[in-house]
Amino acid sequence: MLSDPTGSWTPVALSVDLPPGTVVPARTPAGPIALWRSASGRPSASADRCPHRGMRLSHGFVRGETLSCIYHGWSYGAAGNCLRIPAHPGLSPPETIRVATHPVEEAGGVIWVGVGEPATQPPQLAGLVPLRSLQAQAGMAALEAAAGAKADENGLLETTQNSQEIRLLLAFQERDETLIHVLLDGDSSLLERIAVSRAVEALRRKAEAIEAEGSSR
Amino acid sequence: MKLYNYILSPSCYKVRLMAALIGVRLELRPVDFHPGGEHRGPELMALNPAGSIPILEDGDLVLTESSAILVYLAAKAAPEWLGSGKAEEAARVQQWLSFSGRLTASLGGARLHEMLLRPGDIGAFQAQGIAALRELEAGLFEQGLRGQRFLAADRPTVADIACFPYVALAPDGGVSLDPYPAIRLWSRAIRALDGFIEMPGIHRLHELKPEPHIEPGEA
Amino acid sequence: MTQDAMIDEWYPVGLVSQLDSFGRKTALMGEPIDVASDADGNARVTANGRTLPVCVRYGHVWSSLGQPQKELFAIPEADQPGRRFVDVGVVRVRCSPLRAVENFLDIAHFPFVHTDILGSEPHTEVQNYKVEIREDADEVWATQVKFYQPQAARSASGGITTEYMYRVPAPTCSVLYKTCPPRPGEWDVITLFVQPLAEDLCDVWPWMALFDDESSMTDLIHFQQTIFLQDRSILENQIPRLLPLDPGMEIPTRADLTSVAYRRWLKRHGYTYGAQLVAQ
Repeated sequence: MLSDPTGSWTPVALSVDLPPGTVVPARTPAGPIALWRSASGRPSASADRCPHRGMRLSHGFVRGETLSCIYHGWSYGAAGNCLRIPAHPGLSPPETIRVATHPVEEAGGVIWVGVGEPATQPPQLAGLVPLRSLQAQAGMAALEAAAGAKADENGLLETTQNSQEIRLLLAFQERDETLIHVLLDGDSSLLERIAVSRAVEALRRKAEAIEAEGSSR
Repeated sequence: MKLYNYILSPSCYKVRLMAALIGVRLELRPVDFHPGGEHRGPELMALNPAGSIPILEDGDLVLTESSAILVYLAAKAAPEWLGSGKAEEAARVQQWLSFSGRLTASLGGARLHEMLLRPGDIGAFQAQGIAALRELEAGLFEQGLRGQRFLAADRPTVADIACFPYVALAPDGGVSLDPYPAIRLWSRAIRALDGFIEMPGIHRLHELKPEPHIEPGEA
Repeated sequence: MTQDAMIDEWYPVGLVSQLDSFGRKTALMGEPIDVASDADGNARVTANGRTLPVCVRYGHVWSSLGQPQKELFAIPEADQPGRRFVDVGVVRVRCSPLRAVENFLDIAHFPFVHTDILGSEPHTEVQNYKVEIREDADEVWATQVKFYQPQAARSASGGITTEYMYRVPAPTCSVLYKTCPPRPGEWDVITLFVQPLAEDLCDVWPWMALFDDESSMTDLIHFQQTIFLQDRSILENQIPRLLPLDPGMEIPTRADLTSVAYRRWLKRHGYTYGAQLVAQ
């Protein structure tokens, strides 16, 4: 998470995990979001709650350039305005029906969601490409303890695990939960990629053991 | 072929889904699993002393394990669903067919406990379910690196059908699917297959149908 | 006000057909209770040694933590000859008991949640219908509710426009009257009886009284279980879990008038177990 006085950016997902025409759940410091990509490829982030009856919008579906709620099919545009209420086909939904939205930036294969109005752009991950995302039932401190290294102000952490050099981009989820994006050099081989992925799983096991021990004390 | 079927059983759904995907017609014999407990009654126990469903009858043949039933349907009607037969692929199919039993024991146990009030250690069910989901997530991620979208190949096999239902229904047992991007893409690929059918708790992909244009008063 | 006006209401706590002397350990509004048959085979409900009021009706055992002021609501169709009575069985849902009832009163979700059974696109429009709180009976009623349904009942063989009437006779119970394909002029009765275990957890006991001589009992059970289990994944993903009674938290339209009346009726009676009163 990169913070400045006006807001912050959170790396919520990898571009490959959000193909056109899909919606996924994600989390920011401001709460849960429905992250979706329209058929034409545009990513958007809205609050993960349909204002009609409170259903999670991340359970919904994307048709064309709109996100629809699975419960009653209410559809929303990228700006969060309600475009369609299927129970009333003749009705143009009033402007007041809308979901809160967040700014989205996509760079280097990572999707960042802004909370507030960050004045800066999300950090560049020069030379690195994302491999995969995984969630740990462990807080930042436990992950740093397991890695024997500290994350920088952008959430970047470098360490060696099973004699494998790994670089992680960490995003805070809850006090005891962290989203890990695994990064590596763009020219890594298939075997290197698999080795890094497995090394990060080992690191996660270690961090979760530390977290569990800490919370049982 | 006659399937002793319960509409809410993920294992019975595996058989119905497989049959739908490969165009096999099944005669369905509904079993009052809940609330009636018919699977433990004399008629079905005589057929399957394990007291479980699904049961598939085809002439003299009686099959009671869902993975075996999937293999039987595929071998009869669509052998490409068994995999190519290459050593590694054949082994991967078996690997995930065996693994599917762990999904039944963990996520299936959690679901029966949380939904139909069956006894059991819910904490253990859920913890083992999460462990299994993480293995599946890692397996699918590595398959993706090899350019393969499904568990054993770049096309679906019986292994995918064996694993899909209990995974997709994990939330019924209080196990979230939110943290698994590779599982999400795989589940989507299965739901987008031609001939896919749903079961209660697994919604269809409404986006596969274009948005209808409706004039008021037409409904 | 967690132990509110709802304490004196009757709630379903088990199936009569499954009563036994071992008992069923369950809960009512946060209190552990035990539902068993006594030496004479009669239903007996106890909470921590205290014997609770009992009533046996509509296939279920009913009980209350308080002192019910009235008898359990009447469903005259339950005594009508020729109907088949279907115990659909219990399903647990992690949601407010009031959310479970409100969803049952809703038709606009049919095309998206019960696709190709109770509704389908493009037939999504909800025509105007009538809603009232009947002061004499103190019940919420919605009438002249019409909706196009691809497979309205187990016995239906094609799409028809079905007519519905909804009735809320108790805060966690609803009775639906629905066009009966094999018997024009009669209504099928489908109920949702909800046992509040906690404010955000409930056991749901659907029960039906149908005219259908064709379908097997198991088919009838499976049809209704299919429908309810499609709803369950919605109910467990609504935020908040409690039903918001304050306007502003959720946005109703004309299609939601039954829900609006139900919420108003709950609020008026102080039926707030499972409700969220102040927007958070």
